[in-house]
Amino acid sequence: MGKGQPSYTDEEFVAAIRHGDDRALAQLYRLHLPMVLHLVQQNSGTEDEAKDVYQEGVMVFYEKVRDGSLELSCQIKTYLYAVCRRLWLKRLAEKGRYGGRLDDHEPYLVTGAEADLALAEQRDQQFALMEQALSQLGEPCRSLLEGYYLLDKSMQQLTAEFGYTNADNAKNQKYKCLVRLKKLFFTHYQEEEQF
Amino acid sequence: MKTEADYYELFEAYQRGELPEPTRTELASRLAADPVLARRYADFDALTGALHTYGQRRLVRGKLTALQTEIDAEAAREETLETGVPTMPSLHISPVERRLREFWGGHRATIAVAASVAVLAVFATLLGIEWWRAVQKPNSYGYTVLRREMDRIKRNQRAINRTLNQIDGVKTPEELNPGKFGGTGFALTTDGYLITSYHVIQGADSLLIESRDRQRYRAEPVFSDVAHDLAILRINDKDFKGFGRLPYSFKRGSADLGERVYTLGYPREDVVFGEGSLSARSGFEGDTAFYQISIPVNPGNSGGPLLDDRGNLIGVISGRQMDVQSAAFATKSSYLMRLVDSLSAAAPGALANVPRTSQLTGSTRAQQVRKLQDFVFVVKVYE
Repeated sequence: MGKGQPSYTDEEFVAAIRHGDDRALAQLYRLHLPMVLHLVQQNSGTEDEAKDVYQEGVMVFYEKVRDGSLELSCQIKTYLYAVCRRLWLKRLAEKGRYGGRLDDHEPYLVTGAEADLALAEQRDQQFALMEQALSQLGEPCRSLLEGYYLLDKSMQQLTAEFGYTNADNAKNQKYKCLVRLKKLFFTHYQEEEQF
Repeated sequence: MKTEADYYELFEAYQRGELPEPTRTELASRLAADPVLARRYADFDALTGALHTYGQRRLVRGKLTALQTEIDAEAAREETLETGVPTMPSLHISPVERRLREFWGGHRATIAVAASVAVLAVFATLLGIEWWRAVQKPNSYGYTVLRREMDRIKRNQRAINRTLNQIDGVKTPEELNPGKFGGTGFALTTDGYLITSYHVIQGADSLLIESRDRQRYRAEPVFSDVAHDLAILRINDKDFKGFGRLPYSFKRGSADLGERVYTLGYPREDVVFGEGSLSARSGFEGDTAFYQISIPVNPGNSGGPLLDDRGNLIGVISGRQMDVQSAAFATKSSYLMRLVDSLSAAAPGALANVPRTSQLTGSTRAQQVRKLQDFVFVVKVYE
């Protein structure tokens, strides 16, 4: 890398990311960014669109690694290329400007990326639903749940922050909020499912 | 009766393994037995699971975004840094150029298609117009009318003027516009009617008649016959005093095959004599309004008179066939006389002075030509 950072092989990357090594993730990110920038910009995309697509692609990869369900049959580079290519094709189709083919500059192999993407898409949907449900939940429920589940704060911390008289009160409030969130979440979820 | 919130407290403790042993096994067996409770637990599990992944995802996304901004900042810093170092060649792109480049990158295919369509359309239109004109032209293939284009002469004259200027160092008087096309014409009556070919005056804006002694008269077309390539002009110039008595007469009948014929014309600046014989009584592609004659004719001969031995006018030179040796064509004088007759019937007195007798009969060819040449003119056409 030439910047005094440790360089990883593909296996080391996967192992390090699985253990939550942010430096490995950052390095991986930097390593393959130019490739995707080039791909998207060559195929009538802007720099910002390219970064967007790349972030999404890395997300897919990252989640697979964290799940432990990644079966890498090729290089990480090829995998990321396939994922980002697929994502960009989808964006182009949405924009209605897709002429039927892309200018490939990397060897494009059929990898497991397509199936992974379908899965990631499903998860994306869930993600959007959760975001929607949380935004409809209203304060202070939203902050309370985010504090407990997303930011991993302890009940004592939350009790102090939200001014409850004791931890039990806060806990009760939290469960009530959870029930409301459940209702919001599942009504959306089922609405979606009916389609 | 427990509320749902109470159940959730229980489930959470169960998930974390914080329940004491008897309650735990009891709950496990109840979950196995009670479908309503099992369903409630599944919902709880799904919800917390979704919350967790949501949290994870937000975290990672935040990390990646931070990473990206860091990279962008680094790139920006490098750009500004590198410009400070003169030895490092760096590509410096202004925002306008970057936008242009992005536009080009995004739309170059569309632009290319549009440009080629435009170019094709232009050429198709031009060629189409050209083709249409070619179709509209009445000329048949291989047939060439003999009107002379003046450009070449103009060029020559300029060149001469230039050399003259160089020699004397004196400015020569303004050169005369020689006109765009030229042909030959000859007198029909003493009072200023002339005959020429229709194609000579075709598309003319103004006409000038020039005699052998450089006398110029303005003229206007009176009548034209496109089918037989004939035109009658009239001189409408105040200075015009009349031609004097015409030495030739017009033959109403048909001339004989093999008759010796000659013509006078202006294929160049000077009058040119051409001689031959009448080789056929029909013209190009069997057109019976024309004779075929074996006189070598050139562009500029058009509209010249065709006379026989006895000084009778038997035709008007019109054109030649390119792919045949010395095959020229002339309109028969009988068609010319028919035209004259119909005109004088329409306007009595206008063409009263058409000569009936020839003065040339019996004189030698040279004498005939000497008398004749004063009645043959250059017709200059301005478009």
